[in-house]
Amino acid sequence: MRWRQGLLFGLWGLVLAGCATTPPSPEAANDPYEQINRDTLRRNAKVDKYVVLPTVRLYLQMVPEDGRRGVHNFLGNLSLPTIFVNDMLQGELSRAGKSMWRLVINSTVGIAGIWDPASKIGIPGHGEDFGQTLAVWGVKEGPYLILPIFGPSNPRDATGLLVDAAIDPTNQIHFKHHLWWAAGREYFTLLDLKSQTYQTVQGIQRSSVDYYSSLRNFYRQYRNEQIGNGRNQPQDLPDF
Amino acid sequence: MRLSMPLTRRAMLATATALPLIKAGPAAAAGNVAEAFVDDNIHKGLAILSDKKLSVTQRRDQFETLLLGLVDVRRIGLFTLGQYRRTAPPEDVEAFINAFKNYATAAYQSYFAKYTNQTLKVTGSTKRNDTDYIVQTLLIDPNSSQQPSEVDFRVRTDTGKPVLVDVAYQGIWLSLEERDQFVAFLGQNNGNVRTLIAHLSELAVNLGKPPQ
Repeated sequence: MRWRQGLLFGLWGLVLAGCATTPPSPEAANDPYEQINRDTLRRNAKVDKYVVLPTVRLYLQMVPEDGRRGVHNFLGNLSLPTIFVNDMLQGELSRAGKSMWRLVINSTVGIAGIWDPASKIGIPGHGEDFGQTLAVWGVKEGPYLILPIFGPSNPRDATGLLVDAAIDPTNQIHFKHHLWWAAGREYFTLLDLKSQTYQTVQGIQRSSVDYYSSLRNFYRQYRNEQIGNGRNQPQDLPDF
Repeated sequence: MRLSMPLTRRAMLATATALPLIKAGPAAAAGNVAEAFVDDNIHKGLAILSDKKLSVTQRRDQFETLLLGLVDVRRIGLFTLGQYRRTAPPEDVEAFINAFKNYATAAYQSYFAKYTNQTLKVTGSTKRNDTDYIVQTLLIDPNSSQQPSEVDFRVRTDTGKPVLVDVAYQGIWLSLEERDQFVAFLGQNNGNVRTLIAHLSELAVNLGKPPQ
């Protein structure tokens, strides 16, 4: 039932995205909710400072790099069914095949995905999500949003988050401690992401003239690169 | 006949294969110039940053000299001002270019310092036009099992010698990100370039200090 509510919320997001107009220039930023977004970013920064980052520092100190890599691989392996579905929905059959092989090899030889033997035999990982699928289907991103906890997003990508949660097979299997499993997985996903990006984010914050607009630009460029699967045309770059 | 047919086919195949190469000769050569430029100079930069014999000041000075010889700071600076380049007084624009030079040197040094133990491998280049190339590289960390990072360098050759005008890490172009920041900052400060100059100067000083 919860995922149906999520889908309804997502459909509302798509409507919002459809209503958004094209920005007059890249720097105009398509950011009509900037003040609300800046306030949310400030609140997220407080949550990061007092709750998330102390845990991340502890995680970096207590768990050696190999252990953190194992956690990262395990979580990545859990995402592979969702990546496979999105590969298929985008018509990327070759990449879908790679996702399937990665799931089979890493879940067995890689012991539940803790190790990544698939990469070693030439099947590296790649990311896909329903936000990217919507982009491939021609849905515009809509206005820039900062979501509580999740951070930079837009109606299209926020919809994608909900749909990905709905199609994830591990969310379909209900067992006694399902809620604890789901909460633990989300927590470690956040911890893994923050620990991997910790130094980079600190560097950006330190060198930014305006961290908010820096983050907005990073997010948009990063998503465009993901949507294009690294095949973005250099012709799209501005002349200078 | 039996002999000549395969030979003719082979000759045609060879000609067909060679034609695009012959046609793309000068452009490919310019692409190679851009690739060689990146290959030589980025290795020099990484060597300076990882040279433990140098003092902090020597390292900073050598890196700055190398960087300012490679990068077209003026062109990047003017680009990052966005629409304010046309409306700002010329003396403010000149002062901004100077402040941007100091900021960019400190920021680039801070970014590249993280990659001193890694190696860079040029994998190819793409031509945007006759004087504009994107050189693709892979940044490989020999001590990590992670996949190499993709780093692209944008090289212009319209001034007679190759110059670096932008760098992208995993598809994120630095100049585009700087332009959005500066334009947003100027938008919040009534387009006053002098406020941005003061802020950049402060950031350049802070970036020169070790992180807390």
